[in-house]
Amino acid sequence: MSTLETTPATLTVAEEGIPNAKARRRGSRTIKIRGARPGWVTYGILTVVFLTGVFPLYWSFIIGSGDASSLRRPFSWVPGGNFWDNAMAVMNNEAVNFWPALWNSIYSSFLIAAAVVITSTLAGWAFAKLRFLGGPALLVFVVATMAVPQQLGVVPLYILFSELGWTGQIGAIIIPALTSAFGVFWMTQYLRQAVPDELIEAARVDGASMIRTFWTVGVTAARPAAAMLFLFTFVGAWNNFFWPFIVLDRQNPTLPVALSLLQSNYFVDYSIVLAGVILATIPLLLLFIFAGKQLVSGIMAGAVKG
Amino acid sequence: MTTTATRPATRPTKKDDGTRQPRVISFSQKLSKWDLKFSPYLYISPFFIMFAIVGLFPIGYTAVISFMDWDLVRNSGEFIGIDQYVWILTQPHFWTALRNTFSIFLLSSVPQLILAIFIAAVLDRNIRARTFWRMSVLLPFVVAPVAVGLIFTAIFADNFGLVNTWLNGIGIDGIPWHKDPLASHVAIATMVNYRWTGYNTLILLAAMQAVNRDFYEAATVDGAGPVRQFFSITLPSLKPTLIFVIITSTIGGLQIFDEPRVFDQFGRGGAGQQWLTIALYLYDIGWGQWNFGRAAAMAWILFVIILLIGLINLFITRTLVRDEGLHRELTKRQARALGKAAKKNVKEEASR
Amino acid sequence: MNSRALRRVGLMAGVATTAAIVLSGCAGSSNPSPSESEGEQNFEGVELTLATFNDFGYTDELLAEFTEETGIKVVHNKAATSNDARANFFQKLGKTGLADVEAVEVDWFTEMMKYSDLVAPVPEDLKGRWLDWKEQAATDANGNLVAYGTDIGPQAVCFRADLFEEAGLPTDREEVAKLFPTWDAFFDIADEYVAKTGKPFIDSANSVLQGLVNQLETAYEKPDGTIVATENPDIRAAYDTVVDRAVPISAYAGQWSEDWFASMASGEYAAMLCPPWMHGIISGNAPDITDWDVADAFPEGGGNWGGSYLVVPANGANVAAAQKLADWLTSPETQIKAFNSAGTFPSQPDAQSSPDLTGFVNEYFNDAPTGEIGINRANAITVSTYKGEKYFQFHDALQNAVTRVFDGVEDKETAWNTWVTEVSAF
Repeated sequence: MSTLETTPATLTVAEEGIPNAKARRRGSRTIKIRGARPGWVTYGILTVVFLTGVFPLYWSFIIGSGDASSLRRPFSWVPGGNFWDNAMAVMNNEAVNFWPALWNSIYSSFLIAAAVVITSTLAGWAFAKLRFLGGPALLVFVVATMAVPQQLGVVPLYILFSELGWTGQIGAIIIPALTSAFGVFWMTQYLRQAVPDELIEAARVDGASMIRTFWTVGVTAARPAAAMLFLFTFVGAWNNFFWPFIVLDRQNPTLPVALSLLQSNYFVDYSIVLAGVILATIPLLLLFIFAGKQLVSGIMAGAVKG
Repeated sequence: MTTTATRPATRPTKKDDGTRQPRVISFSQKLSKWDLKFSPYLYISPFFIMFAIVGLFPIGYTAVISFMDWDLVRNSGEFIGIDQYVWILTQPHFWTALRNTFSIFLLSSVPQLILAIFIAAVLDRNIRARTFWRMSVLLPFVVAPVAVGLIFTAIFADNFGLVNTWLNGIGIDGIPWHKDPLASHVAIATMVNYRWTGYNTLILLAAMQAVNRDFYEAATVDGAGPVRQFFSITLPSLKPTLIFVIITSTIGGLQIFDEPRVFDQFGRGGAGQQWLTIALYLYDIGWGQWNFGRAAAMAWILFVIILLIGLINLFITRTLVRDEGLHRELTKRQARALGKAAKKNVKEEASR
Repeated sequence: MNSRALRRVGLMAGVATTAAIVLSGCAGSSNPSPSESEGEQNFEGVELTLATFNDFGYTDELLAEFTEETGIKVVHNKAATSNDARANFFQKLGKTGLADVEAVEVDWFTEMMKYSDLVAPVPEDLKGRWLDWKEQAATDANGNLVAYGTDIGPQAVCFRADLFEEAGLPTDREEVAKLFPTWDAFFDIADEYVAKTGKPFIDSANSVLQGLVNQLETAYEKPDGTIVATENPDIRAAYDTVVDRAVPISAYAGQWSEDWFASMASGEYAAMLCPPWMHGIISGNAPDITDWDVADAFPEGGGNWGGSYLVVPANGANVAAAQKLADWLTSPETQIKAFNSAGTFPSQPDAQSSPDLTGFVNEYFNDAPTGEIGINRANAITVSTYKGEKYFQFHDALQNAVTRVFDGVEDKETAWNTWVTEVSAF
């Protein structure tokens, strides 16, 4: 009975809800309107996905709770008893400088992720929903810059930063990462798809300025995508090794650089290295929980109906 | 549907006496017109300003030194024209690397995309403990490379690796992961897929979440099953995101570097270049042989390749994913036609 | 509502903090170092940075001794691997950012020699402190000694006594030492072992290649710069020997793989060509094995594998103080102490008379007198291979050729021809 699929795009916003209302009032026939609760097949698939995904962490924990020879011994599914000792060894290791490195990683990754989300949402909104001269061409340019391989970028960047005298500062990590072509492209495509033009028109008709429209419509719609972008950027910045390694020094490292020092011997004690890996992953897991909750469906549905 | 965004205070209307009202534009209107015209540039400027500073310089630098014989330490070099490009294109290793790159790219992108869409669709449903399940797909992405490298080396080691030990146990010869090119590509593609599938899944999931739930409800009422709904509602709505995922996968897939690097202890793509990718070859020439001019030339050759393949993939995606039924956005042509018709209407009204 | 307010606050906080970070980044790093007056050797209060990798044996206690003696503080930065250190070194050489004293491994030392003008030369009075071939390699075309030698890797033969016994070979290290006077003798014993047990004799074919090439005076390049790699009959002979005789008796083509580490404990091979720094690797990876031992022998006498140098970048802030540190660290006494910590065998002849070295026994290797063995093997080294700029590129490519043959990817002649083609493009 739904006329949705055949109605042309000139459907006004208020009418979109009506077919459902009709359906709900159907009476004797109970029609499952909400998606049916998924069955065990779904949960089975999800469990498989979870198990494959968590395995490296679990494996790292097993080896990290053993001792130096655990890596070479046959794999045991039961953890050893040394995890806490190994973790303490990581945190107290003088060369590693764990706590300053952790703090450096946290705030630099946070700033980078926040800046990327802000600049990308702004630019994405413009590319997706605003019409301006040179828009499409600039977007193509942005995407094209992603195709330039990054392996060589360290060399000119280092020249730039050593001229400025910023080597050894965390700023040298943050500044180059503040914008991301990937982020702009992502927000553009997402906003294109997630924000109905009718909403914008409604806001404009009500007299909202551009910035007001952006704030009320764009920012709200972008929340799930922004949360994902924040998460990805944070993780990427967190795990980045080569550039921080080149531009920072031992007194002021980020976490991956600091932890790599655990491997600086002819014979590497991997139980400690992997205990360090676990420690370095914990903040990310905490972030997961926060970002995951932002993946909410129907953010725009209410707005449209209203 | 009109596309005017400003509210005109006055407009040419027909008056009783047949004369046309002159257009008087107030200051606030002028401001709002400027708002419309220039604010997009303001919105994109934070990105472009930062990019001009830290993004353009490396790109320009790479472009310039690709025509030179560049000495990294002395930061100088002599101009040699396109010699570096010629050298690269005449190297057998380059063509081997190209073959490897494409092979790994296809073996990784295609399964990844299919798997990502599938898992995202499963996660899109009304499951309990949503955040937990959804975030679990991203776990492979966050584990530090050192751990992932160790694990996969243990799995794919030729003699004592997990896979080969198991195969030997059931009487089959082990697979020569580090000797045979295709086997190495499969192993590396597995590593890549493992790391990046969750990432793409969440991107697609975020996009799926934005699809209006009413469409699904209406379709359910109509009796469409989940599969039909998926192909008729979900996929077409996802088109911009699918384009995004395919383009970024193309770009990333042709630049694969980390996984081939940790595949063996030397990190140079194998004794017979079995798994040498272009990005790895580039790195070896730049940071291994210290020939940055040559590496820069290779970076630009790779850039051209990526552009070409990217355009091909874009074209394929656009053709394959149709927008049936949910055309909320007008295509450019339709918009222009509507605009023309509207203008015509206005003219007619005004001349009456 | 809530999220909106939150976003607003978040946005402003983000902008403010970013601005703060940017501004703070503008403030240069402060590194107080009172300038020392010319000619005076008083460096009180100076702070130096020392950059090494792997484990040089420079413990904090050792560096504290230096501080006590001279009043100079030393900050020790370690890179995880030699490769990381190399990337860092060449990225910053001639610019800012290097430590006051940098460690350079012999693998990339020849690449550094191209820029010998960018490091401070070693004072004349220190010449002769190191073994002559070690010094020779660090002397540039103008006769300047530009690096301070740290350790060397005089090779001997490590073996598993239990596996030797199974094959009917002698197990006492003195007896075993008599088995390997020449490469032919070495391979004959190896063939015998393989025939008797069906298992590989040594760990890797490329370790033999390394041993052979390091006994040549001219390898791939001549001191005047000409490349002789493909014409040098010695290189061809080395390749032939490795492919014909070493490949059949080796467990692997190359080292440092996952499988290779595992085999130290599993007994997949019975012997290895090992320099002193390999001892720690074996004991660490096979802690439960009790039968590893070291024989005081090496085919054709001796060969060196590995070793490092310290260099002082010429544009550093405290070159004189840095030279003092490098001098102290590479003195015979200090090198012995480093050896005790990390097994880095001294390259200074004076150190060889120290009882610490001559009396050193390695418990893991059944109390083998590894100090004395090292001394004997070091003194048996007669040839110092000339290594030009591209030495390691040539050598890597040749190792790849051996690996291809080992893996069955190409046959002997094809692999050689591929190598020749590759190398001609360098």
